[in-house]
Amino acid sequence: MDEYRTRVRIYAGVVLLVFVLLGLRLVQLQGLSGAAGDGIPPGSAVRSQSIDPARGAMYARDSTLLVDNKPTYTILLTPRYFDPSKASLLAKLLGVADSTVQHRLTQARERNAFRPVPSFQEVSFETFSRVQEHLYELPGVSYDVELRRRYHTAARAAHALGYVQEIDDRTLARQRSRGYRLGDRIGRTGLEHAYESILRGERGREFVLVNVHGTEVMRYRNGTKDEPAVSGYDLHLTLDHQLQAFAESLFVGKRGAAVALDPDTGGILSLVSTPDFDPALFTQSVSASVWDSLRSNPHDPLYNRATQSGYPPGSTWKPFMALVAFQTGLLRRGQRLDCPPGYRIGRRVFSNHRGKDEGRITAEKAIEVSCNTFFYKLMDEMELGTWHDWARTFGFGEKTPLSGFRQASGLIPDSSYFTRTYGQWTQGYTINLGIGQGDMSVTPLQLARYTAALSNGGLLPTPHLVRKAVHPETGRTSHPDLAPPDTIPVDSVYFESVQEGMHRVMTDGTGKWIQIPDVPSAGKTGTAQNPHGEDHSLFIMFAPYEDPEIALAVAVENAGYGATAAAPIASLMAEKYLTGTIADTWERNYWRKRLREEVRSGPGQDTAPEKPPPSTSPPATQVDARPASPPRDSTGTEASSR
Amino acid sequence: MQNSPWKLDPWTLLLWAGLAVAGLLALYSTTHGPAVEYLSASVQDNFYRQLMWIGLSAVGIGIILLFPVRILRYAAYPAYAATLVLLVLSLVAGVEVHGTRAWLALGPFRLQVSELAKVGTVLAVAQLLSERHTRAGQDLRFALKAAALIVVPALLVILQNDLGTALVFFGLVPIMLFWSGLSISVILLMISPAIAGYLALISTPIALGFAVVFTGALWWHSERRYIAGLAATFTGGVTAVISFVLSKILQPYQVKRLLSFTNPGAEEFRQGVGFHLVQSKVALQSGGLWGTGFMQGPQTQGAYVPEQTTDFIFSVIAEEFGLIGSLVVLGLLAALLLRLIKLGADVKHPFGSIVAAGAVGVYLIHIFINVGMVTGILPVIGLPLPFLSYGGSAMLAQTALLGIVLNTHMRREDLSIYGY
Repeated sequence: MDEYRTRVRIYAGVVLLVFVLLGLRLVQLQGLSGAAGDGIPPGSAVRSQSIDPARGAMYARDSTLLVDNKPTYTILLTPRYFDPSKASLLAKLLGVADSTVQHRLTQARERNAFRPVPSFQEVSFETFSRVQEHLYELPGVSYDVELRRRYHTAARAAHALGYVQEIDDRTLARQRSRGYRLGDRIGRTGLEHAYESILRGERGREFVLVNVHGTEVMRYRNGTKDEPAVSGYDLHLTLDHQLQAFAESLFVGKRGAAVALDPDTGGILSLVSTPDFDPALFTQSVSASVWDSLRSNPHDPLYNRATQSGYPPGSTWKPFMALVAFQTGLLRRGQRLDCPPGYRIGRRVFSNHRGKDEGRITAEKAIEVSCNTFFYKLMDEMELGTWHDWARTFGFGEKTPLSGFRQASGLIPDSSYFTRTYGQWTQGYTINLGIGQGDMSVTPLQLARYTAALSNGGLLPTPHLVRKAVHPETGRTSHPDLAPPDTIPVDSVYFESVQEGMHRVMTDGTGKWIQIPDVPSAGKTGTAQNPHGEDHSLFIMFAPYEDPEIALAVAVENAGYGATAAAPIASLMAEKYLTGTIADTWERNYWRKRLREEVRSGPGQDTAPEKPPPSTSPPATQVDARPASPPRDSTGTEASSR
Repeated sequence: MQNSPWKLDPWTLLLWAGLAVAGLLALYSTTHGPAVEYLSASVQDNFYRQLMWIGLSAVGIGIILLFPVRILRYAAYPAYAATLVLLVLSLVAGVEVHGTRAWLALGPFRLQVSELAKVGTVLAVAQLLSERHTRAGQDLRFALKAAALIVVPALLVILQNDLGTALVFFGLVPIMLFWSGLSISVILLMISPAIAGYLALISTPIALGFAVVFTGALWWHSERRYIAGLAATFTGGVTAVISFVLSKILQPYQVKRLLSFTNPGAEEFRQGVGFHLVQSKVALQSGGLWGTGFMQGPQTQGAYVPEQTTDFIFSVIAEEFGLIGSLVVLGLLAALLLRLIKLGADVKHPFGSIVAAGAVGVYLIHIFINVGMVTGILPVIGLPLPFLSYGGSAMLAQTALLGIVLNTHMRREDLSIYGY
């Protein structure tokens, strides 16, 4: 029994020890450090307030400010501490009806009676100042200064810059570990999305002591525990804002896209996708009607046609065919082939535009006059696998290295594609690929990159929008890690032949009427056949011819021939970029006026046939915002002349 | 020998009532303070609901006191089996609250089954260990059986996603075996992984140091190589596993969250669990020595401390009644537990004394984890403070346990007749 007694004593001792430990801890917290040590006067609570960081600004190629931040003011109510007798004073200061204040108070109570609830958003600076002056007699009223985007130039560049929006529940659930909170704003598309992590900055925090009535008494530990917010990095872009604004003005009333690149660096000079939206819409809480109109627009303004839409390249594909034929030995330089009105495979005849016969011609001439039968013959003799592999070498059929942007891969079919799609298939199914029609599609961005490679003799540049990121406070600069351009293994003499053909397009061919005055250039029209409506108009171009500084690809949906819509846009854009203005000649004025006032996209099925039905999710409100649209891989309309 | 109601221990009942009143005061302050009009009606009703539960619990003590101890012993295994069935039922058809599936809906009431399971388990283990005429714990086979009786409900509770309650069960194993006479070395062996685990969370070198010292000490004490081997395996193994998990498997932010209790003031925790701790500690400090006064605590009345009526009720007492109030409550708890040990020791029959030891163990683990959490020396683990926290199931079950101890003590002379 003695041992039993010992155990009882040990047990009682352990119990006592636990209580003594806990008691000592309480003495330490409440008795010793309570009043003096932590600087917290008895009877007060610490409230933490977060300080939003300034989101990084964006600057154009010439360092013109494109986007920065402006403050917006929100008045918050904490119902628990609000003095109902002050409701009419608050209403007077805010310039609203008493009932509105009561209504917001009820709403806030439903949400959380003990926390400040944003109740009057985006009040003007004057209103905010009036309220701020009277805060001392308004318990339970506080304010919040938030930074929203402010846009400075005429260029919208909506799809390049992207937009910022309040974070939605689903994204919040995923990103909470990265410090995102309810009510934070996050980049949704474009650069705002791609560079979110460095644009965002780091939230700051300040601590204040409040008394039992929730009124601020003093700063916690004299603000020594406060952490200032750290701004995000500023982005310096490759975008030319004047070119961008000009291009957007030419796209009035049209659906389509344009991409202009610096062919040496791959820097994107302009990226247009229309219809677009005004990014400034998202600086306020997007109203339900605005959101509805964006979402229900059948042509989806939030959809980036420049990177997500696939079009059959049409005749802009012919330079590619010539290069591959040269390099694989199907064609020798200077060799002439027939350009008959029709080309027969089995029982089917594939014909030239308007059935013309050009006789025996070289590849240069075939590009100039855009002879279909010349390229049908090349395609007939080329293995589909060879064609496919070379197309991949030119950057088609895969996303470009422009990271962070929603992109489509486009469709570059191989034999397994045809077997999967059609079962039995013959040359008749693939012959159209020789003139850029049929079961294939490319994005305007891919096309622009290809044009850059045509212009510089085979270097496929890495497209990018950001030259450098500079921190506004520390001056720290970082440069994007860009891959060097891919070299296309085709002899430079062959490129010269093709360039010569494209130059002749501008001097003697379909581009004759849209030459840039005094600047030699090279281009190629394309018409993407579209079974769902009027054909799509395409054009690729580079200039100046001898030492190219700009390479462009333009697509205008349902606008007919390449020469009538896409070509003048490309030419005017190139002129604007190279000379800074548009020459005052009859032709140039004619095209400008015609593009702005007459050329329109005809009715046509949407470029993204697999577009999901308009979302039924509610519009973005102040608390609950939805993502703009789910990522889509569009291969575009499959034009076919089978 | 005749039973006499005068043998009922009045001190235990008084201490119990004092704690219940303290809990009610704190609850009244949070539900009927200056902020009352901003609280929903259901929150305001919590006070009356708890009052009703306390009344029911008092009646429960009376009912339990009517049963002869023999009945309690016969009922031990069936009660244990019934609580296991209820645990499984709650897993299948239970109601989920805060991610824990531990509640069974009974009409308007929700029953937290795991609270009942603690009572059933204590009874069953006491019954098992008292079946031996000698000190049963000396027999390792009985010890293992007793451990198994505890581990089964513990595993079911883990499936309910209620780690805190599972900890109570695991903590019971060494306590009840210790009381029943299992060798000290084996007891130390059993609790060593927990200590090593806690230390490994804070610092691997300290945990390794503990493992070495502990193994050496146990070897010296027991002079048995296999005990030392087991000690090294337990402590070293737990340290290695936790260090590996922390460094290799968990993401850095997960580690930070897990460790937030060691440095709750750090920036990254201010919004999460750590922030609760900061607020809880601020409430304690805000109270100071004398407290802010009843219904005057800014933290309490501003509802800054989460779960302040349940797991964090101690912070309400500490803020509004200061260090004096919190030490008084802590003193009441200590006095109750020591009184229960005394009652258990007075009962010569092992069943009664083991039940008392088990009840004290249950309360002690709750108090240590709860107050340790509120004062920021332990991570935030959701466990109520016995007799104080809002919650009917816990109040009822823990009072019932108290009633059983009172009953075995009251009828301690009877036990020898049926026992040996």
